[in-house]
Amino acid sequence: MPIAEKGYAHWDGTFIERRLPWWPIARLGVRLAFKRKFFKPVFTVSLLPAVIFLAGIYMSERIEDFQFMFRGRSGNRLLAVDAAYFKTYFTVEGTLFLMVMLMVLAGASLISDDLKFNSLQLYFSRPLRKRDYWLGKMGTLFFFLLIVTLVPGLLFILFKVIFAGSFRFLADFPWIPLSVVAYSLLAAFFFACYTLLLSSLSKNRRYVSILIFLVYILSDVVYGIFNGIFHEPAFCLLSLKCNLQQVGAFLFRAALPYDVPWVYSFLVLAAVCALSGFVLKRKVRGVEVIK
Amino acid sequence: MTAGAMNIELKNIRFRYGKITALDGVDLALGEGACGLLGPNGAGKSTLLRILLGFLVPAQGEGRVLGYDIRSGQFRIRRAVGYMPEDDCLIPGMDAVTFAAYFGELSGMPRQEAMKRAHDVLFYVGLGEARYRPLETYSAGMKQRLKLAQALVHDPKLLFLDEPTSNLDPQGRTEILELIKDISSKKDIQVLVSSHILTDIESTCSRVVILNKGKVAAQGELAALKEIQYSLYELRTKGETAGFLQALKGRGCRVEETEDELLKVYMPPDMSRLEIFRTAEAGGVQIRTFVKSRTSLEDLFAETVGVD
Repeated sequence: MPIAEKGYAHWDGTFIERRLPWWPIARLGVRLAFKRKFFKPVFTVSLLPAVIFLAGIYMSERIEDFQFMFRGRSGNRLLAVDAAYFKTYFTVEGTLFLMVMLMVLAGASLISDDLKFNSLQLYFSRPLRKRDYWLGKMGTLFFFLLIVTLVPGLLFILFKVIFAGSFRFLADFPWIPLSVVAYSLLAAFFFACYTLLLSSLSKNRRYVSILIFLVYILSDVVYGIFNGIFHEPAFCLLSLKCNLQQVGAFLFRAALPYDVPWVYSFLVLAAVCALSGFVLKRKVRGVEVIK
Repeated sequence: MTAGAMNIELKNIRFRYGKITALDGVDLALGEGACGLLGPNGAGKSTLLRILLGFLVPAQGEGRVLGYDIRSGQFRIRRAVGYMPEDDCLIPGMDAVTFAAYFGELSGMPRQEAMKRAHDVLFYVGLGEARYRPLETYSAGMKQRLKLAQALVHDPKLLFLDEPTSNLDPQGRTEILELIKDISSKKDIQVLVSSHILTDIESTCSRVVILNKGKVAAQGELAALKEIQYSLYELRTKGETAGFLQALKGRGCRVEETEDELLKVYMPPDMSRLEIFRTAEAGGVQIRTFVKSRTSLEDLFAETVGVD
């Protein structure tokens, strides 16, 4: 007995050449992330630092109204919205930690699930390049990372100008928009590479989630231990968080938090990205479509 | 593609993995209908499929799939070809409609049309009622049909099916085979089935290609191949058969004796059946039963690749 509930009909449409063939992959990744348990609460919490800093910008322009909160100290000095304010938002531990949590929930499964459930075979039997596959997966991560970096950064500038009613801020710090864009892209690229690297190492999403979290935390713990023993700031290069803070400080023209050239930190981050590219190239192979 | 043109044409294809020769001078010409791709492990089937889909570039030779060159037209080939892998493939967290539509979109279909087409194809493979269920809850048979749906969603001209009935119960197997027969017979879609289950090939394909040690050991219409390659006769005899069997083997026949003393004699193409009677007479053996046997694909496969 035939199982077909309906006869086969040919499709009479025409194929389209997508300018961004990776776009459907990125879009699906975003959709699936929102279906994941705990993702929505974590995503909401990850927006809180931006809301708090935005409130700070508002208060800085209405400082007389909020003077009671500063107990006699100068609110102007405590809430000065300058390059350091931006640097603080982008490199404060809370923001970086929430970015890692977003990666744990939205990024851990991106490649590991494809390896576990053999989806690579389906992807690469389509007219897709490896590059499109990687870009699609990165696109998902960029979406979430830029929402907590680039979007708030640009909103801070916009609202600062609106609340102040003048372009004085931009005249004083004309390079700030560029710094916001550069740091946001750099942090997003680094975290995307870091997440995809670890996601490609195991078929088990849970192991990958733990790895993403542990490698980030442990790198900082190891720095703390070595620095405690040897009192040598160069050990900050072992910590992913410290390296991001170093590069962030440089981009926002602030004093470097550790006594090490920022270029070294940049090279460490670049090395992680290069390692990610190398591993992905080996792990994601189109020829494996047919086993 | 013009009518009557070959969908797959390969000429003198050679491919090596380092020092190991995977394909050695493969020539193929496949037109419409369903074709079975057979061969023991290591025969080169996977390498051949990889070359047809454009993942590997042959060291030598040339070929075209649906008119597209296998060296320069990989992406156009993959757009026009549907591939159903052997392994279970899914994306957790999705339902069948979004899954099939997603792969239609990745093939180049506009988003809305891919979604509409996904519904149609899922009804065709018998998953219409279950199309909104999470894929993780699907049975083995449903996963198999889902793979077929994603391979059909962009309406390919050529369908590669890799072990389409693996891990299926008899009922599921029958259903998938029915679908394959339906697709290949009525839908202007050529089907290339790679399988180790010879009865599946025999029931769905009119043509076969048998690969052995990187070479095409046999190819053509299944019925003609079984006729040409050898003739199989079943005999019952009276008398001392040891000398008779030895003499038959000396004339190039392969002889098997079953438990109920039935002799199966595989005659080479150039031998006349009268020779069997002459040999029996010379050995003092009476032939009580002499029947030309229906040959199966299994017999053909065993004869071609040289295994029992």
